Amino acid sequence: MTVMMKLKGLATAAGFAATLMVGGATIASAEDVTLTMAVPDWPPTRIMKKFFDEQYKPKSGNTVKLDVDFIPWPDFYTRVNASLTSGEQKYNFIVSDSQWLGAFVEGGYFRKINDLLEADPDFLATFKTIHPNPLNAYSTYPHKSENYYGFPQFPDVLVNYVRKDIVCHDEEQKNFQAKYGKKLPCTGEELDAMTWDDFKNVGEFFRRKKGDMLAGAPAEDDFYGIAYQAGKGYDFSSMQINGFIWQMGGDTWDETKAPTGQAEGVVNSPEAIAALDKYLSLIEYMPPVAKTGTMDIFVSDQLFREGKVAMNIDWIGLGEASLDPKSSKVSDKLVFGLMPGTMGADGKIIRWSNIGGQPFVLTTWTTDSQIKEAVEFVKWWLSNDIQHQFAQAGGQSAVKAVYEDPKYVSYRPWNRAWAPSLDWQKDVWHVPQFFELLTQQQDQFDLAITGKQDAKTTLDSIAKFQQDKLKEVGLIE
Amino acid sequence: MANSTSILEWLGFRKASGVTEAGWGHTLLVGIVSFIYFLPVLFIIFTAIKPQDLALSVPPTISPTSLFGLIPDQYVFTPTLENFGSVFSRVMTPGGSPEATGFDRFFFFFIFISSVSVLLALVIGTFAAYGFSRYPLKGNDTYLFIILTTRMLPAIVIVIPVILMFRVTGLSGSYLGITLLYTAFNLAFTIWMMKSFFDELSTDVEDAARIDGSSEAKVFLKICLPQVVAGLAATFVFGLILTWNEFLFALLLSNADTRTVPVAMNQAVSSGGRGTDWTLLASIETLFLIPVFLVTFFLQNHLLRGVTFGTVKR
Amino acid sequence: MNTAVRDLPAPAMFEFDASNWKLAILAGLAISILAALALPASLSFWVIGAMAAMIAAVFAINAYRRKYYGGLLVAPAIAVLFVMNIFPLLWSLGLSFFAYQSNQQTIRFIGLNNYIKVLTNDIAAPANWDALINTGMFVVSTVAAQMIAGFLLAMLFAKQFPLRKYLLILVLTPMMLSVVASGVFFTYYYDPTFGILSYAIGEVTGEQFILMDNKLGAVTGIVFADAWMWSPFVMLLVLAGLVSVPKYLYEAAAIDRVSKWRQFWTITFPYIRGLLMLALLFRTIEAFKLYDLVYILIRGGQDTKTIAYLIAEIANEQNKTSEGAALSYVILFMVIVLTNLYLYLANRRNQGA
Repeated sequence: MTVMMKLKGLATAAGFAATLMVGGATIASAEDVTLTMAVPDWPPTRIMKKFFDEQYKPKSGNTVKLDVDFIPWPDFYTRVNASLTSGEQKYNFIVSDSQWLGAFVEGGYFRKINDLLEADPDFLATFKTIHPNPLNAYSTYPHKSENYYGFPQFPDVLVNYVRKDIVCHDEEQKNFQAKYGKKLPCTGEELDAMTWDDFKNVGEFFRRKKGDMLAGAPAEDDFYGIAYQAGKGYDFSSMQINGFIWQMGGDTWDETKAPTGQAEGVVNSPEAIAALDKYLSLIEYMPPVAKTGTMDIFVSDQLFREGKVAMNIDWIGLGEASLDPKSSKVSDKLVFGLMPGTMGADGKIIRWSNIGGQPFVLTTWTTDSQIKEAVEFVKWWLSNDIQHQFAQAGGQSAVKAVYEDPKYVSYRPWNRAWAPSLDWQKDVWHVPQFFELLTQQQDQFDLAITGKQDAKTTLDSIAKFQQDKLKEVGLIE
Repeated sequence: MANSTSILEWLGFRKASGVTEAGWGHTLLVGIVSFIYFLPVLFIIFTAIKPQDLALSVPPTISPTSLFGLIPDQYVFTPTLENFGSVFSRVMTPGGSPEATGFDRFFFFFIFISSVSVLLALVIGTFAAYGFSRYPLKGNDTYLFIILTTRMLPAIVIVIPVILMFRVTGLSGSYLGITLLYTAFNLAFTIWMMKSFFDELSTDVEDAARIDGSSEAKVFLKICLPQVVAGLAATFVFGLILTWNEFLFALLLSNADTRTVPVAMNQAVSSGGRGTDWTLLASIETLFLIPVFLVTFFLQNHLLRGVTFGTVKR
Repeated sequence: MNTAVRDLPAPAMFEFDASNWKLAILAGLAISILAALALPASLSFWVIGAMAAMIAAVFAINAYRRKYYGGLLVAPAIAVLFVMNIFPLLWSLGLSFFAYQSNQQTIRFIGLNNYIKVLTNDIAAPANWDALINTGMFVVSTVAAQMIAGFLLAMLFAKQFPLRKYLLILVLTPMMLSVVASGVFFTYYYDPTFGILSYAIGEVTGEQFILMDNKLGAVTGIVFADAWMWSPFVMLLVLAGLVSVPKYLYEAAAIDRVSKWRQFWTITFPYIRGLLMLALLFRTIEAFKLYDLVYILIRGGQDTKTIAYLIAEIANEQNKTSEGAALSYVILFMVIVLTNLYLYLANRRNQGA
């Protein structure tokens, strides 16, 4: 065997081996475009994929395939983060929590879309129909700048899940009126008018032991009036606490004021401390799991669905389960309201709340032909018709023409709270240090929630950490 | 496996050397302890056959039968097999029709890669263990220690280099890649375990065989290996259990098509973003248990016989 | 070693022979370099891989001809381990000397600064030391619980009795479950509203029972779940030792009226020591990596964060790759010192016995 033959043999062998490895992966020809997408595995993304497969007809005439990698929620960040940072370059589209934008934009993974918007007036017009609050949260980095990155996939807000059969019961109504001299909120409008003080009354009022009378019958188990997220995991207390702080005149560190905006003195301002105190004071009326620091959004939702609480503040994204009689004991007894607010000096309720939901973004290694198809796909996704269908199937829409349509409210019982909530949404930081700030903050909040330290110590510690950290990276002068 | 099996032996009345015998009294004692030990697993299995709405009932339902009135009705549920069906096909979008979850594919794929990688580790590791035991190298202990070191760090530390490596080689998302990785994960344990078994063997028989002119290969295959079958069985079971439980790399290196069961299982933990679906999780877990359970059960005689290795010691 | 090594002369440098490893290395290197320069990365990788395989084959032939059986037997294992484990570990060791975050494109050599930071920095270090103390606490308590429970279970099964194999498999099942799923079910068992534990206690006291609202409760919950899952591992290894004790030794002891306690230490213990040590070694190493249960049960709350938990937070969530690596290697160093000490003691006792 000559050297050349040997080499050829080797190359063939290597080629053969490579084919074995890669398996059935096909190489895209000019007409076939595959868009690979990393998404969390839940209904909103399943619906998106279903609509695409059933309805999407690319205008270009190319065969466009949407290859969706459904990843279980608990592992979603780990998977996406590892894929991006290792340079795997596997995905063209990624569903991302809005707060991850900074980390992944600075890393050079998320593609800025300003050029695409400028090149396509249609696209820009569609894009501008999105409500500015979600748009800022989901798409801009630095926050509220003119640099755009993402499109709403599933926009989300916190709403009040309420048991009608409990709060509208005559006996309870009467007793509540007698005790607090106020009507126990029962209809959607009455719930909308609730403040945190009313919420606290409900918590105090409905604290029942097993066997106590509850809505005309002896309670089968201990019963609680209220619940909201107070968990240590991910952002499962910050999202609620931020709302309290903003409503009561405090503030979190404001990234749009960098580098002159401070953390110390702002984060631990007297208003913020009072707000955190208020948040903490409600926890004693909640189910006992709150004392372990593990009452996250799923646990409080589960308690609500099992009929252990009268009111629960949670994301709309978890709502389908409580409507489904298979997974909910209260599916036919629901009424929804806006998240409670704080009474302002002018007698109007202040409702600031932390936005939830996720945008999806394009990655920087997406090729030109893929980008062309991707833009068409996004335009299709944000079109009124598809957004309506999405909302009908259980999604939410941040597109103005869609959610302002009178039909929208009829799609789901919580939709009545959707449009009024949107105007009051803010978002937590999008800076690359997001996870460091969040972990430390969650740890500190957990200490307060489990009764290990008071509100002042907690916020002082958070403020100091943020001041030091942000100074170190130059976001505070 | 047993070569002559009577019903009595099959029921566990086998007589083994080196073991004191005890009667039904001891069975009762061990039975009670084992049952209590097994309770949390039993509860998971019962949850798998519970109607979905009873998963979190208070008081907890703990039995599918009232045991002739022994257990009060409030603790009893009516068993159903519906949950197992939803492991393989269920509704993914509100109001939609049931869709295949691909779980059957994950399941068999996973059985395949874990058994292949454990067997591969067993073959390579047994050779190495025999080498370390019988032909010590210069710095033998150092090598052994370095091998042990590979198990000492949390897996998260090597994530980035491994993904990079897999990307460059095109192994990412392939069966071969993850099989090789799992093989490596199992090697340290296999080598240490098998070495301790080889160390315990008496070398007299081997020396005699060598003097009779047996080749080294023959000494290994015909004399040493048969004596450590029990060790091989035990190592296989442990390896299978460890591999079966690996999560991080299964998550990071798999594609939508090549998910492993633990990763797919987390789908039930989050249940489409709405928190834990208890009956679904329990069903997956119960199915997940079956292969390892069967393997362990059928290798059990070897596991317990294992055991005879000390009798020829020194 | 009993067989004499046949002294075969090594082949000369340029002799074309299947066992000439020097020539193989030379040729392999040359071709690899050419391939790396001329071919695209994905293809050249395979060429280089093939060259490595060729060199390995030549080494194997050389070893076989000259009867270096030790090396020959060990080589495949070392090769797999090197590629899949040791190489990535060295990579991350290297990273620990750089300022590098996996989500940023810059990298800068900073020597030992990461190590100094994780051990002494005002912000990072206190958490690390706390986690270290927690890890130590978990290692001691989980391993002790597993060893005791596993050992007692093994004693129960060390006799021949009816239905033994069926009862044994019941005890082995906890180990076979997925850690994630059984961990999630333990959150259910411990839950104050729905959980069985709370219900059982509530039937007596009339109050819902909250296990994990304090550190002691949380640690107990974690240790119990962990010990329950992994005691069967210890048990199986100890059992293998227990059953191997020849019966006649006990009979002889009975005739000499040796006390049960002495019987245990003089007859039984020497037979199980090796396997007991192996179990202890592997469980200790695993206990240092305790993460899943702490995360699932309490999310690291109630001051239960372990080092492995912190490493996951730092290296995965926060992408501080090199800092995470440095912290890992600090831990690795401690584990190495500990295992070495332990192996040294084990060997010494072995020789003393």
